[in-house]
Amino acid sequence: MFERRLYHHIDWALLIAMFALCALGVAMIFSTTSDPTRGNSHLYITQLYAIGLGSIAMVFTLTLDYRTFTDKSHLIYIGLLAILLYVLFLGTVQMGARRWIPIGGFNLQPSEFAKVGVALVLAKYFGENRGMPNWTDLAIAGGLTCLPLALIAREPDLGTAVTLIPVFLAVAYLAGMQMRILGYMALSLVLLAPVAWKFALKDYQKSRISTFIDPTQDAKGAGYQQIQARITVGSGGLTGKGYMQGTQGQLRFLPVAHNDFIFSVLAEEQGFAGVIVALGLYLFVILRSLEAARLAKDRLGSYLVLGVLASFTFQVVYNITMSAGLAPVKGLTLPLMSYGGSSMIATLAGFGLVLNVRMRRFTN
Amino acid sequence: MAFHEERRRVGLRLSVLQYVTVVLFSTLAISFWYLQVVQHDRFQEMADNNHQRTLPLRAPRGVLFDRDGRVLVENRHSYSISIVREHTKDINRTITLLSQVLGVQEGSVREIVERHRREPSYRPITIVQDATLAQVAAVTARRLSTELPDIVVQQVPTRQYPDTLGAHMFGYVGEVNDLQVSNADDLKSGDIVGQSGVEKIYNAMLMGEDGAKKVVVNSTGREIRTLEEIAPTEGKRLQLTVDYDVQKAVEDAFAVSGFNGAAVVLDPSDGGVLAFASLPAYDPNSFAAGIDRSTWSQLMTDEDRPLNDRAIQGTYSPGSTFKMAVALAGLEEGIITPDFKVFCPGHANFYGRDFKCWKHAGHGAIDLAHAIQQSCDVYFYTVGNMLGVDKINKWATLLGIGVKSGIDLPNEKQGLVPSTQWKRERMKEKWYAGETISVSIGQGQVSVTPVSMAVYMATLANGGTRVTPHLLKAVDDGSGWKPVPAPAAQSKIEIDPEKLDAIREGLWMVVNVPGGTGGTARIAGHDVAGKTGSAQVISNAGRMAARTTKNLRDHGWFVFFAPKENPKIAGVIFAEHGIHGGNAARIAHHVLDTFFAKQDGRPLPPPPADLKLDLSDAMAQPGERRALEDQDR
Repeated sequence: MFERRLYHHIDWALLIAMFALCALGVAMIFSTTSDPTRGNSHLYITQLYAIGLGSIAMVFTLTLDYRTFTDKSHLIYIGLLAILLYVLFLGTVQMGARRWIPIGGFNLQPSEFAKVGVALVLAKYFGENRGMPNWTDLAIAGGLTCLPLALIAREPDLGTAVTLIPVFLAVAYLAGMQMRILGYMALSLVLLAPVAWKFALKDYQKSRISTFIDPTQDAKGAGYQQIQARITVGSGGLTGKGYMQGTQGQLRFLPVAHNDFIFSVLAEEQGFAGVIVALGLYLFVILRSLEAARLAKDRLGSYLVLGVLASFTFQVVYNITMSAGLAPVKGLTLPLMSYGGSSMIATLAGFGLVLNVRMRRFTN
Repeated sequence: MAFHEERRRVGLRLSVLQYVTVVLFSTLAISFWYLQVVQHDRFQEMADNNHQRTLPLRAPRGVLFDRDGRVLVENRHSYSISIVREHTKDINRTITLLSQVLGVQEGSVREIVERHRREPSYRPITIVQDATLAQVAAVTARRLSTELPDIVVQQVPTRQYPDTLGAHMFGYVGEVNDLQVSNADDLKSGDIVGQSGVEKIYNAMLMGEDGAKKVVVNSTGREIRTLEEIAPTEGKRLQLTVDYDVQKAVEDAFAVSGFNGAAVVLDPSDGGVLAFASLPAYDPNSFAAGIDRSTWSQLMTDEDRPLNDRAIQGTYSPGSTFKMAVALAGLEEGIITPDFKVFCPGHANFYGRDFKCWKHAGHGAIDLAHAIQQSCDVYFYTVGNMLGVDKINKWATLLGIGVKSGIDLPNEKQGLVPSTQWKRERMKEKWYAGETISVSIGQGQVSVTPVSMAVYMATLANGGTRVTPHLLKAVDDGSGWKPVPAPAAQSKIEIDPEKLDAIREGLWMVVNVPGGTGGTARIAGHDVAGKTGSAQVISNAGRMAARTTKNLRDHGWFVFFAPKENPKIAGVIFAEHGIHGGNAARIAHHVLDTFFAKQDGRPLPPPPADLKLDLSDAMAQPGERRALEDQDR
């Protein structure tokens, strides 16, 4: 099953870059939460456990041939929907949302795994169809994406739900979706936006968007986080304030610094230099993964890599933009760095598939 | 070949994605460059403002000492409670909550905040100056629970006065007003400055320099650590010329008498003020921590006008105490000699009008010393008439009457000794010689401040040097006491000692020879020289109509120096509505007794239990009014 020579084809550079980002994340989590007087000083330990579990998951997704996973993707998909339904009705409620299933000491967040599940099922779907996808293909694939998306959005967790859209778009794009269809989609999105504003968005979501456009209109309320994020990043300067010396993160002017705004803390304490290193690592991870997609021995492999990569890239870019106060505040974590067990495990498992595809590029 | 074509398409589209990713990341990198490097200074400042607070550390004002080094005015610790709006999320909520916690009117808190609205938001707005421990505890508890992160409790030095003692001399402090801020470069809103008295005159020396404490606060406003602390510099310590014992004797005696009034006691050699009082007094402590509105309006509407400094701002008719000025003018102008005698039949006619002496029976032939001793009006009518008003004005002025004394206290008023020029300029009228007759016995338009009468007596005591009364004796800026030289004399005349002796002899007899009017001021073993006087409050006709009204009674004067040779003390006691000069002399007795007891090393006399005041009002016969007053025993 796992031939010895495959070992030599593992992309060690990609692995090193990923774990470097994980280490950076742990260091930043430690920086913002280690104060023993505050009671959650153990968070970095939890994160280390999550990295350990994620590594095991990665070994698992790496060891079996990725085609084994895609072959079983319909089962995985159905199981996923079942769990999302379970969460929706029986999950743990925290901060007004039903997103978690308690397992042992952990709170598992199934929506994080949905990204991988959808990537698998879409890779399988488009991989089996030859030629350019027609309208029917796109409609079916869209439906496969929208089903878990709707369930996650109901939790409600709009942020995570939205990350499924890039998965669909990226895989469909690579599968040869015509550009004008993409154009139609963009057009309909623009037309639907006012309707969504009026009927679909909740007040807090509207205020987030309107305060993004002008943060000062509510400097102490919804615009607060955005202004503070910008101050945090801007005050970091070229070389930063020093590890654990950031005033914004350490003194809690920036909310959930170890989570959504971990990149802001990095920018504050390590400055522009640290930002460039982190951005470089992320860029390397993404380009290296695109390389894996290019090298894949079959379309299925390429689609799978891109499906995993799409939500990852979307989240990285959005979170970093937000952490500089340049995008509306959305509960989207930064993969590999932010605190969060489910996200870490799902991300590492996903990259196990990416490594898998590259590693097996010569096998039959 | 579809496979290869597809392969090519996948490769192409992957390349597109590569480029897009690189562009996206480059954009991010540029954005971070812009925020972190280009705009760094701006954001650094915002971050500093976020977490750093500069708290002013108020400098204690300089301590005031008396001439023996006894502490007169010092500082105590009190707590002030302020709002720092920089950290306020909702000012209305803060005001409501704070006023509940403090137990004060919400409106008054709002008013204070409104008054400081335009100031920078980092500057604390003090809501309560001298908070009670209960208030401090209540606010601190709320602060810790992060309900009121924008409230600051600070320990501040607050002025501590010896109750009402010397209130008008020390003055009081208060928050600087807008006008004062715009007039002085070194004052800023919220500063505590002297608003009257010594506190005001020497404010620049007393104020010291505020320090500052830069602290780090977290997002809930709690102080995490101190970054930097600049200690405040205490104001300069001032030693006053005042003698606490004499000051206390003055106020004790006044308190026993029940009179309002004023007293100024000087060292005749240089004008140093030994005691200075105006009664009724107020309690400067109630200003020290921000006066509340009801106390203020009570002070403002009090009919006795406690804020008015009678010693330098009250002008009163001097009555008989003016006679020495006329005597000196006569002697110095060569119009009379000490032996010059006038026959007093009880009245005299000038310019067709009959002027009465207080003693209707008359004094007979009387010389200068006895005329002073017995306060013979006819003698001074005669001398004044020979002099004319302008010569009286000249010599009165040289003695310090009718001019400002130049004392180092704010808002001194000027008295008046009329002259022909004054009347021409002021009233556009000619001076009538008949008016001079009333001026000769200190009536008519003559008006004086108590402090000018003290200078007058000091000048007679020291032989003609019109000293400038002053309160400041020495200054200590931290490097030891440096004496402050007495201010230059206002004017100096060489009085022929022989002539002066005649006046001094008369003054001595007033106190020490039976038949004098100031016998109540006599101190065994010390030759006290003095003169009583009374100032009519309303006309005789009016008196009859309002005879029972206390505040229409005459004022009583006693001016004095002692001992007769080489005087060490000179001064004035002014008893408002004191009826007789003799009552003022009774107050002076306790003051002089205390002064000499201290000088002789005797135990100080206790405050008198009873001054044995003569409160009989000479109402029965208007004509005999002054008769009773001037001869009281």
